[in-house]
Amino acid sequence: MEPMRDIVIVGGGTAGWMAAAAFAKTLGATHRVTLIESEEIGTVGVGESTIPPIILFNKLLGINEDEFVRETNATFKLGIEFVDWARLGHTYFHNFGLLGADLHTGISFIHYWMRWMRSGGDPDQLRFSSEAQAAREMKFGRAQMTGASGTQPNINYAFQFDASTYAAYLRRYSERRGVIRKEGRIVNVRQNGESGFVEAVEMQDGSLVRGDFFVDCSGFRGLLIEGALEAGFDDWSHWLPNNRAAAVPAERMPAITPYTKAQAREAGWQWRIPLQHRTGNGYVYCDSYISDDEAARMLVDRLEGKPLADPKTLRFKAGRRRKSWIKNVLALGLSSGFLEPLESTSIHLVQVGLTKFLDLFPHRNCDPILIDLYNRDMAFQYETIRDFIIAHYKVTEREDTEFWKYCKHMSVPDTLNAKLELFRTRAEVKPRNGDLFSEVSWFAILYGQGLVPAGYHPLADAMPEDELNLKLARIRAAIKERVDGLPSHREFIASCCASEALVAAE
Amino acid sequence: MSARVTNVAVLGRDAPLWIAAAAIQRSLGHLGVSVRAIELPSILQPQDVYSAMPAIQGLHKQIGLSENLAIAAARAVPLAAQRYSNWAGASPPWMVGYDDPPPPGSDVDFVHYWARGRQEGLKPAFEDFSLAASAAKHARVPVYQDGSELSAAYGYNLAAVPYTSLLKAHASRLGVNVETAAIENVLIQDGRIGSIVLSSADRVEADLFVDASGTEGALITRLPGSQFEPWDEWLPCDRMVVASGASINPPPLYSQISAFRAGWLGLYPLQDRTAIIAAYNSKHISEAEIIESLPLLARIPIAGEAIVSPLRRGLRSRSWIGNCVAVGEAAIGVDPLESLGLYATHTCVSHLMALFPVERHAFPEAERYNREIALAGQNLRDIQSAHYSLNRRFDEPFWDECRDRTPPESLQRKLEVFSLTAHVPLNDEEPFEEQQWAALLSGAGIVPKRYDPRIDVAPDEALIQKVQQRLRDIAVAVPNMPSADDFLKQSREELEVAK
Repeated sequence: MEPMRDIVIVGGGTAGWMAAAAFAKTLGATHRVTLIESEEIGTVGVGESTIPPIILFNKLLGINEDEFVRETNATFKLGIEFVDWARLGHTYFHNFGLLGADLHTGISFIHYWMRWMRSGGDPDQLRFSSEAQAAREMKFGRAQMTGASGTQPNINYAFQFDASTYAAYLRRYSERRGVIRKEGRIVNVRQNGESGFVEAVEMQDGSLVRGDFFVDCSGFRGLLIEGALEAGFDDWSHWLPNNRAAAVPAERMPAITPYTKAQAREAGWQWRIPLQHRTGNGYVYCDSYISDDEAARMLVDRLEGKPLADPKTLRFKAGRRRKSWIKNVLALGLSSGFLEPLESTSIHLVQVGLTKFLDLFPHRNCDPILIDLYNRDMAFQYETIRDFIIAHYKVTEREDTEFWKYCKHMSVPDTLNAKLELFRTRAEVKPRNGDLFSEVSWFAILYGQGLVPAGYHPLADAMPEDELNLKLARIRAAIKERVDGLPSHREFIASCCASEALVAAE
Repeated sequence: MSARVTNVAVLGRDAPLWIAAAAIQRSLGHLGVSVRAIELPSILQPQDVYSAMPAIQGLHKQIGLSENLAIAAARAVPLAAQRYSNWAGASPPWMVGYDDPPPPGSDVDFVHYWARGRQEGLKPAFEDFSLAASAAKHARVPVYQDGSELSAAYGYNLAAVPYTSLLKAHASRLGVNVETAAIENVLIQDGRIGSIVLSSADRVEADLFVDASGTEGALITRLPGSQFEPWDEWLPCDRMVVASGASINPPPLYSQISAFRAGWLGLYPLQDRTAIIAAYNSKHISEAEIIESLPLLARIPIAGEAIVSPLRRGLRSRSWIGNCVAVGEAAIGVDPLESLGLYATHTCVSHLMALFPVERHAFPEAERYNREIALAGQNLRDIQSAHYSLNRRFDEPFWDECRDRTPPESLQRKLEVFSLTAHVPLNDEEPFEEQQWAALLSGAGIVPKRYDPRIDVAPDEALIQKVQQRLRDIAVAVPNMPSADDFLKQSREELEVAK
């Protein structure tokens, strides 16, 4: 079997440069990596919000986190605040990290908390989350398990950054490590007449870029995966009807929140992503329930700061390319599927797609067994994240607009129904292996959206009440001690990773 | 939560009965759940052995059974690996050791270094990089050593009859109500068990019935909606014979599993004897013949009788129906290869405890349990099936047939992916980590064509260094581990102190 030499990435943007950086780091010595992008074609990237596994990606690349935060105008993120989702006027928080602690009894902390809450304890479970408490107090620190007692909890975090500067940052990283960037538009894709493998792409200037393997990061249109290889698309818009977003940057927030805000709106929801130099905002909606003009106007009217540009409208459709890998073409990012940014999973899906690909790194012939395994794994990833996002719409009291009436009464995938049923009856949310979202996340969302379980695991009653109270009090004390010791988010950024824009502004 | 489960009846025999009863009683007894164990006649023979993977230690913790007590009562010997010989023509034997997985976020797994070495013509066997295999070979017990980056685990070979008596006594001590009985009738109402009528005319009513009766499935088979799906195609041994041989001194810390023309024979060291199990296919060797060949195959003197029994391999399509939950062989039937039998019971009981019903009228947990048990069973089957289908004993009809059959699809995927990439795609509910799978598949002769591309980025010297470092780490760690004698002595001393 012949080894691969030439890898061609089609499309810059976040997905393209993430792929380039990962390849440069892991394959740089043995492979030639070329990335084709065109300045004429803009990237979709707006403010991007991420989830904690991105730390692993940074680790893979070996990048200095402070430098990365500075150069992408990033802020730190401890979770997502959801406003008006369960009902108007209601707020809950999806916290990163743990809830409580493992009590080493074989069942989840959630069951103990349920018992405690039902016998009169505080229904605010977030008092058992160091991340949520820090977020409430606008604090942040990179704190690992330490403290006098050695029992203070970790702080799990992700980043909120400017997607275009992120791509630029990864571009510098990649080019330093030998990735060749080629500017220009692709006008044609050449495939082998017999095998259908892509052999080269033809550029507008007539030149050819040949490769052994192509990574399609061309965005929604999927130049190679759909255009040449006709992967097909599974449309999920009956479950996730949002198909537009209006996006606009606004002035930076006076106090930068260490979390992203997602506020439900009449026909979708609005994001607020604080960066060091500005705030990213957007209204994600379904155009059957609100017009583009109205959505854009609503977005601007409800901004918390002064807009810095005119709103831009983006179009998309929820769903997934039936196959992310066909022959010698791998689709990453929007070309392989789209799930709305409600849970900040876009960059994560690129990351998972990349690491799985590196695990199964093929020879030039691209063995169908590897391709099949990859496609199954990615289908699982997309579907579990899809179910998680659908739950935000399905589990709600809201019926105040046509959009919410539809969401509340729509039928949902069987996989999600089974999950909701076990949660409703016994607070059980054990995710499957490989499910991105932990039971803490599932609990945060389902309980936050208003689903209060009728029961909990019978074993949770086995612990004597005084012992349980003592344990819970200890956990809360450790969390308080941890959070008390943290600097404010603003102080933390100023201390080690303020961007030029922030320094100039302050 | 008005209608809690407060009465549980566990019906069955031998270890599965007492494990299930003890687990429920210990966790829920003081919450007012009463557990009644109805013991059917034992099918154990004095020769029998329970061979248990390292997960057994977790089970003992779960039911609160002292490790030292179990070792003493069951004349147990620690088990760090399985050693396979004669499965592949003239190839040397290989071991599957219970190495722990590397901590998350570690470097590329060692199997990839090995695969690259093999590609470049180097000769080390995969087991040379296994701490557990090395410990087993040097008769050292791989107990945890502080500060060591490499670690391994161990299970036990346990004499079945005294171990079962210990479990029974333990269950009673925990508060399980024990009675010995035979079933007269099982009354079914609306797809549920209404009551069990015992031969004493006593009626047993309960909110939840646990069927731990073994292959018989004394309760679960009475309920509509469950079939038994046989795995005969992939697990070809339909009989087993148990016997007892002289003890080996010092006892090896591995089970020796040797293939012969119509099946395989395993030696399971105990403190005072060596238990012997042979599994075979009755079309390829007669009962008389296998009994006659036992001393020859075992290569140790055999004491007493050899006893033959049928092996039932397959899965009950639904093992939780209405208010009845099947555990162990009543749910999953495998053969004794790779010491998975007791583990099958353990995994069922763990899943039952994780999903222990909140309420006695509706059991929304059943569907989840059935899915998990089906997957767990499939994983056990695939491990055993891999041994059969990868054999390289040519021109023997039994083994030729084993090779010619198409493996289960889930196993096929693992074989293909490992051959191509040195990765093993793991399912949910896997008893093996990637380390054990890699040991099994590489031992059976698969050399991956590729390995993680990240390895090629490092310069050759770094790779050689890494490999040598690993061999050095193992060479340093093993002599610090206790010998089997020291380990058992310490266990006895601790037990004395505890008394």
